[in-house]
Amino acid sequence: MAQPGSASVNQGKGAISIRGVTKIYDPEGVNVMAVDNCSLDIPAGQVCMIVGPSGCGKTTLLNAIAGFHSITSGEILLDGEPLCNAEQPLARQSADRVVVFQNGALFPWKTLADNVAYGPIVQGRMSKTEAREKARENLAEAGLGDVADKYPGEVSSGMARRAEIVRALINDPKVLLLDEPYRAMDALTKSIMHEALLEMYDRTGVTIFFITHDLEEAIFLGDRVVVMTTRPARTKKIVDVALPRPRDYRILSSEQFRVLVNEAKDAVHEEALKAFEAGERELA
Amino acid sequence: MTEQAASTAVRRAAPPTGWAMFRYRAARAIRTTGPYLAILGIGGWLLVWWLFSEVWELPRFSKMPGPVAVLKDLFAFEPFQGISVFTAEYYEHIYVSCRRIFFAFLIATGIGVPLGLFMGWSRTFRDYTFPILETLRPIPILAWVPLAILMFKGFESPVIFLATLASLYVTTLNTLLGVQSIDEAYFRAAGCLGSNRWQIFWHVVVPGSLPFVFTGLQISIGVAWFSLVAAEMVSGDWGLGYLIVDAYMNNVTVPMVIGMITLGFVGWFTSALVRLAGRRLMQWRTAALALEGR
Repeated sequence: MAQPGSASVNQGKGAISIRGVTKIYDPEGVNVMAVDNCSLDIPAGQVCMIVGPSGCGKTTLLNAIAGFHSITSGEILLDGEPLCNAEQPLARQSADRVVVFQNGALFPWKTLADNVAYGPIVQGRMSKTEAREKARENLAEAGLGDVADKYPGEVSSGMARRAEIVRALINDPKVLLLDEPYRAMDALTKSIMHEALLEMYDRTGVTIFFITHDLEEAIFLGDRVVVMTTRPARTKKIVDVALPRPRDYRILSSEQFRVLVNEAKDAVHEEALKAFEAGERELA
Repeated sequence: MTEQAASTAVRRAAPPTGWAMFRYRAARAIRTTGPYLAILGIGGWLLVWWLFSEVWELPRFSKMPGPVAVLKDLFAFEPFQGISVFTAEYYEHIYVSCRRIFFAFLIATGIGVPLGLFMGWSRTFRDYTFPILETLRPIPILAWVPLAILMFKGFESPVIFLATLASLYVTTLNTLLGVQSIDEAYFRAAGCLGSNRWQIFWHVVVPGSLPFVFTGLQISIGVAWFSLVAAEMVSGDWGLGYLIVDAYMNNVTVPMVIGMITLGFVGWFTSALVRLAGRRLMQWRTAALALEGR
């Protein structure tokens, strides 16, 4: 299905450097440190999976990159350009970093095609007709051609989530930020979603920053799995996933896959215990 | 079901439109208990009214005109107490009240919806306006009557002003609530897709608040009706409120009840119009609700 013409213009871009980022929330004068001096380098085009206990500050990091929340100190760079730092703690929101949200955020009042066409239209990159045409094309490529004129409330959650990724990728983002997008899905739907995401990744080569709880998902999708400590978040362990691409579900039963999962599991388990003992309320 | 039959069934699921849709809905409705229960309910209520006021003539009900007296006059060519569906006055009263409601509702919506949207969208604007709104809102409409008569000339404008005022609060507050009810994720999604502030206003704030706006408009048209009638009772020359109070002054009770029943039906009809407009504008929501079987 890969088309030579559909490769992203941003191929080879989208390197993220997180350098000593700290985030302190201050609700009602009680300081809560969500992220503590966290550093992480994500090369362009890498799929970086972030794993850690609930409420550990993973989403805070994603929000800082996307420009939803400010940081307290440190800096975040995109391709060497500062997104946010001590002087400008809140990154500017822009379509070079598009987020796919935990509970899905397709506009329920727009059809799938209009949702996908939205980005290029508001950015003024395409005319309305052009954008709608392109949106239909991309939806059809993702197997959603038949439901392009349906509203999000009329399609399954799996279809909606896939459409949301199509809506993100039509903007040729440098970075795709996903916040536990498949959390509420059953295992079967999940595996279909994984393959669809991998296929889109193989086509665009976009940098992916993916937050999850699910270790098998992390290893199956990622080039690298970053295990975060319990709050405040720091990087605890980095597992490099040297599985060949393109991947399909058969890899799940390979010995190599098992070894990697176990390696990551030990680190995650330790942090989960810590979080539990610290009386952290499980958000899940 | 065979696979082919199933696929035909799916194709047939395309919804009929217009008259066909109406017939389909009507046919489905008479197979449920709903319409029969409604008829029974209304019938029971009429029966109790008839027994209390015309058959047994209970102490508190003996001066009340009964349903037979009211219906007899309502459909009489020459009504005993002056008003029926065959007199021009009846329609003049309805027309005048409806015209006032139309303008009051139009003005209240035209000011209330944008006001509520901006209040929800901009914190600064809300900080300016919210205290004023909350101070003015508890003042009953009847308390405004003297001032309205002093401020506006004639019969028409003070009455419209009073009806507008009441529904303006409802519309504004519901719209504000509608904006505040929008999930933060939609604002963020719009932001990271490259929208500017105005695009977020048009593509997120306006459509996202519509469900609450239309709930507000339905309440607001009801509120407009009852403040209109109150206003017509105090200062009016025509209108259903005037009809009721005028009948009372002249000691004729049947036109009073005719006025009340007419108000009920006209009010119901206007609310239904608002609901219809809401469904038209929010097809995305209708579709989603229909799938949930609501």
